[in-house]
Amino acid sequence: MSLYGWLILGFPLAGTAVIALTWKRLPARAHGAIGTAAIAGAFVCSVLALLKLQSLPADQRQVVAVGWDYAKSVGVDAELTLLLDPLSIFMCLVVTGVSTLIHLYSTAYMASDKGFSRFFAYMNFFVFSMLLLVLAGNFLVLIVGWAFVGAASYLLISFYYRRTTATKAGIKAFVINVVGDIGLVLGTYFLFKHLHTLDFVKAFERTNETFTRNDGDLVAGCVLLLVGAFAKSAQVPLHTWLPDAMEGPTPVSALIHAATMVTAGVYLIARMYPLFEQAPLAADVGAVIGAATLLIAATIALVVTDLKRVIAYSTMSQIGYMIMAVSSAAYAAGMFHLLTHAFFKALLFMAAGSVISAMGGLQDLDKMGGFRKAMPFTYGCMIIGGLALAGVPPFSGLFSKDEIIALEFERGGFHAVLGVIGYLGSFMTGVYTFRMIFRAFHNEPVPEAAGLIHGHLVHHDVPVNPATGEEEDSDVGFPGPEHHIAEREPAMKVAMGALALGALGLGALQLPGVTDVVHTFLEPTFADSRFYGALEPSTSSQWIGLVVGAALALAGIGLAYRLWVKQRTAPGLLRARLAPLHAFLANKWYFDELIEVVVVRPSAWFGRFAANTFERLVVNGLLVGGTSGVVRAGSAAVRAIQSGFLRAYAALLLGGLTALALYFLISAQ
Amino acid sequence: MSTTWYLLVSAVVFCIGAGGILVRRSPLVILLCLELMLNAANLALVAFSRAQGNQDGQIFAVVVMVVAACEVAVGLGLIVAIYRRKLPVDVDELRELQG
Amino acid sequence: MTIHLALLLLAPIAFAAIGAVAPPRAAAPLALAGTLVALAFAVALVLDFDHAQRGLQYVTDDDWIPALGIHFKLGVDGLNLWLVGLTALLFAVTAVWTLVRPQPRPRLWAFHMALAETAVLGAFLAQDLALFVFFFDLMLVPFLFLLLGWGGPDRRPATLKMMIYTLVGSLLMLAAAVATATLTAQASGGSITFVLADLAKVHLSPGTQRVIFAGFALAFLIKMPALLVHGWMPDAYRQMPMPAIAVFSAVLSKVAAYGFLRIALPLFPDATLDFQLVLMLLSVGGIIYGSAMAFTQTNLRLILGYSSLAQLAFITLGIFSLRPEGVQGSILQAVNHGLVVLPFFFIVLLASERAGGSEDIRDLGGLAFRGPVIATLALIVAFATLAIPGSANFAGEFFILLGAFKAYVVLACVAFTGVALASVYVLRAYIRTFHNRAGPRVAGGDLTWPDRFVLVPLVAAILAFGFYPQPALRDSEQAVGGNASAVLTGVRSVP
Repeated sequence: MSLYGWLILGFPLAGTAVIALTWKRLPARAHGAIGTAAIAGAFVCSVLALLKLQSLPADQRQVVAVGWDYAKSVGVDAELTLLLDPLSIFMCLVVTGVSTLIHLYSTAYMASDKGFSRFFAYMNFFVFSMLLLVLAGNFLVLIVGWAFVGAASYLLISFYYRRTTATKAGIKAFVINVVGDIGLVLGTYFLFKHLHTLDFVKAFERTNETFTRNDGDLVAGCVLLLVGAFAKSAQVPLHTWLPDAMEGPTPVSALIHAATMVTAGVYLIARMYPLFEQAPLAADVGAVIGAATLLIAATIALVVTDLKRVIAYSTMSQIGYMIMAVSSAAYAAGMFHLLTHAFFKALLFMAAGSVISAMGGLQDLDKMGGFRKAMPFTYGCMIIGGLALAGVPPFSGLFSKDEIIALEFERGGFHAVLGVIGYLGSFMTGVYTFRMIFRAFHNEPVPEAAGLIHGHLVHHDVPVNPATGEEEDSDVGFPGPEHHIAEREPAMKVAMGALALGALGLGALQLPGVTDVVHTFLEPTFADSRFYGALEPSTSSQWIGLVVGAALALAGIGLAYRLWVKQRTAPGLLRARLAPLHAFLANKWYFDELIEVVVVRPSAWFGRFAANTFERLVVNGLLVGGTSGVVRAGSAAVRAIQSGFLRAYAALLLGGLTALALYFLISAQ
Repeated sequence: MSTTWYLLVSAVVFCIGAGGILVRRSPLVILLCLELMLNAANLALVAFSRAQGNQDGQIFAVVVMVVAACEVAVGLGLIVAIYRRKLPVDVDELRELQG
Repeated sequence: MTIHLALLLLAPIAFAAIGAVAPPRAAAPLALAGTLVALAFAVALVLDFDHAQRGLQYVTDDDWIPALGIHFKLGVDGLNLWLVGLTALLFAVTAVWTLVRPQPRPRLWAFHMALAETAVLGAFLAQDLALFVFFFDLMLVPFLFLLLGWGGPDRRPATLKMMIYTLVGSLLMLAAAVATATLTAQASGGSITFVLADLAKVHLSPGTQRVIFAGFALAFLIKMPALLVHGWMPDAYRQMPMPAIAVFSAVLSKVAAYGFLRIALPLFPDATLDFQLVLMLLSVGGIIYGSAMAFTQTNLRLILGYSSLAQLAFITLGIFSLRPEGVQGSILQAVNHGLVVLPFFFIVLLASERAGGSEDIRDLGGLAFRGPVIATLALIVAFATLAIPGSANFAGEFFILLGAFKAYVVLACVAFTGVALASVYVLRAYIRTFHNRAGPRVAGGDLTWPDRFVLVPLVAAILAFGFYPQPALRDSEQAVGGNASAVLTGVRSVP
């Protein structure tokens, strides 16, 4: 069993190492194959681990694999341990499964890019880090995985490193993620102080006897863990990096900024459920922030005009649902939504990537339109993904999202309000998803689309940065001089087709009253939970919830159809009528400006103060000046005696001798 | 005759030499004054030697004379060198050692 | 197996002395041979060290100046074992560096470097206060000459500044050392001795301890350098020849941190407790200040200089948390910082060679495209420098901050700002050097073969240490954590 754990980690790491060491010796195509095969290997191992786990009795489905002492000293018990239980294997399956498909997609999508080998080395490293995160058996390994995915995400966001927009987005993402790491480390300190162990299993066993309910240090620790979760999962107010992260290549957005990494916060809260159940105050904070994020992100997604950013904000919104769910003890529902979301969101990004290729790298919705006929396959995938995201039966998103909302109502109290917010979000999801689809695919074809209908794919001799319009100063083009669309690349078609099947059919795993696969599978992990078994809404109320959710989604889609297909003057009128609101949303609720004023400017000011004022006046003026001043005055006094007059020296000599002689004479008496 | 008188003479000669060094500016005269001071010391040494009744002081006086001879040789050499390089023969003008 | 430590100490200087009379071409290889002998010794030490045993191992103890009770006493324990290893490794790499980038006047250069290595090793190994002071001051001498003889255009004022600063520190330390020995002899009524173990047995009055402690602390803080006494640092960092400043920053600053552990804490426990909060505040100030300065500088050397100031402040913070975790972290971090800062300086050199000699990030950029191998190695070094979890630097910081957290929660929280700022200034330097558009004068290719011999071993060491930092922690645990620890027992017995 533990062997599978190490193999799951070993494949992607070996993939990275092999690609990095042979980058000059093997052709780039081989690296694509190696990278994809490594992840596929990890997926196979995950499946084997799953089978092995299911063959164990339910109460023994928790295997700890110990590697070696990592930093074990003076009471800190940091070993390299992996924890294999249903939750971590579930995550491994999602991560490796979706990753394999995205790698496959990338082999075609990135084919003409100069950084092809580098791309796969980074991607494999990312998957390794993500798997380390989910398999971690103690806090330290978790933090390591947590930071490694941040590093990999930084590398992939700044993949086109000649673009200043990309490097800026990369450093922003990294620094916000470091803030999250710090939250995680500090939270760990608060817990370690009382629990005296970093090991998950031991820590969770000791939680209830060590801490009273809502114990101050426990709540502080859990809230700090939440800071880590919020930074990684792009929750308010630490979300500003995610839209900017769309600077990375589209497969990166699909893998890291939709399907896997950003869900790490959800996994973290679910993993730490014994702590959060003992600190309901912290859990409530998580639930409220999740709800706030789902609403804020959905409103912004209504007005954004960048294709990838619309999907990015929808990701934020969907992760808001998940965070809300796991913070409200709806663990299985949250994880189920994580699973379905990984499929349909990766699919949406892949379809968007195909459209962006067809546009020659442009991402602006205002310039798109009418791709329906030109790209039928992409259009079909986009529709499937969009319907799953909006929550229309029988697509998977409806079942997972509405299970969350149903559980919120079942929980009662202020959670019912969160449930209402969830429904509000469902409606907006329908609107913004289909706004995006209608604007990109319907209406009159733009020149690129018209050309594509006649078989002309856009081609650039000199690649440009679509964000700034600058010409690239070298051949690190985006995405290479040739563009690749799903209609012409079998590898992309296979990957998108597989994801589309998942987006279509995964809802069958959790049909209310019929199947309960995810819930039953995860049960051993949450065996000690107060809520897991108890929180069970009736089948009829769940079905009613599904009907309401589907109706809201369809209403949203209908509104989008009316606004962006039927009466296309209406959006302009609405925008003019609600100008202040539009400005507020288009500026993303001014979060970037807020962070600029509160954090960035004061730090920059302090840096300037330190460099210009403090260093000059105090360190160099007072201290250096003071010390050297004393030395200079002393040497000036000594120098004055060295007049060079021979007779003055003689006089001094005589005077000195006389003084000495007198002293001895007097003291002798 | 007591040693005191010898010492008195020695002291007077020493002071004349010291005073000469302080007031005169010619290196030649300063050398002469140095000679005076050394000989004053010699006088004192010989006087003490006689008072003590052993020869140690006289030996010392001879050593001092040797040193004085060397010193005069070097000193005069220096003065000649200064004169030859057409430098002012005046110790107040020779002050390159100023710090 | 007994390893005679004096041999370790003498190997570099002996080879350099031979090199001094050999033809100039042979000087650099001979110096390398000397450092390799020392490295072999040090590796043998690390492998042979018995981590379960308490107290000193491989002790060399001879009378040196019997009249004053000064011994030539060397020994290894958990506090200095890995620092000795680090010193040997880094000087060996620097010798390779000199081989691939020949310096003018090679014999003199090699001699100064060897003298520096001997002095640093001596300071780490010394178990006698007078011997420590001797080596501590000796190690400054070659660096002053290296700065004056091989430095940049404004080396004179830089040398003067550095000399004045460090001499003030050295004099204070000398006075403090003499005072320690005489007052201890007075208090115990025995004969005078400078052997550390004997000095630690006698308890001086708290008032005396405070004064003496202040003398030592000031000397160490200047050498590090710490906030407020770092006035010499910018000039010296800018003017010193690159290999010299690399090894200075990587090794010499650690001697100061080590001095706290070896001398200040065991000998003056009362004063340590009195000054704990002051020094922790100074450290936190140094972390924030150094980081803030590092992200406003544009000269890569100064970015590294101020980042070292911040890193050394982390180490001081860990030491003065007076918790075993903090001290352990500090020892680990001292090794880590040395391991990353030297390759970082080498990378700065490589970058500046490809940018027309400029070390200013405004003239750099876009190096990754022509030099992917350099960029990758630099990325690893950069991530280690900002202490990304998974690097040994993170393990060190984790322990340090855990110690600080246990001592003062608020200070630990403030110190964490430094972690965030570190990611800003390191990535800023990295991006502006390797990413973005190419600078105006940027040209040149990838890592050359000879340069690999400098960079690859160090990056390999960083990676290996990141995977498995446990040996360093295990070896120092007895010296720090046990009931009879060399460091904290005194402090702990003081309520």
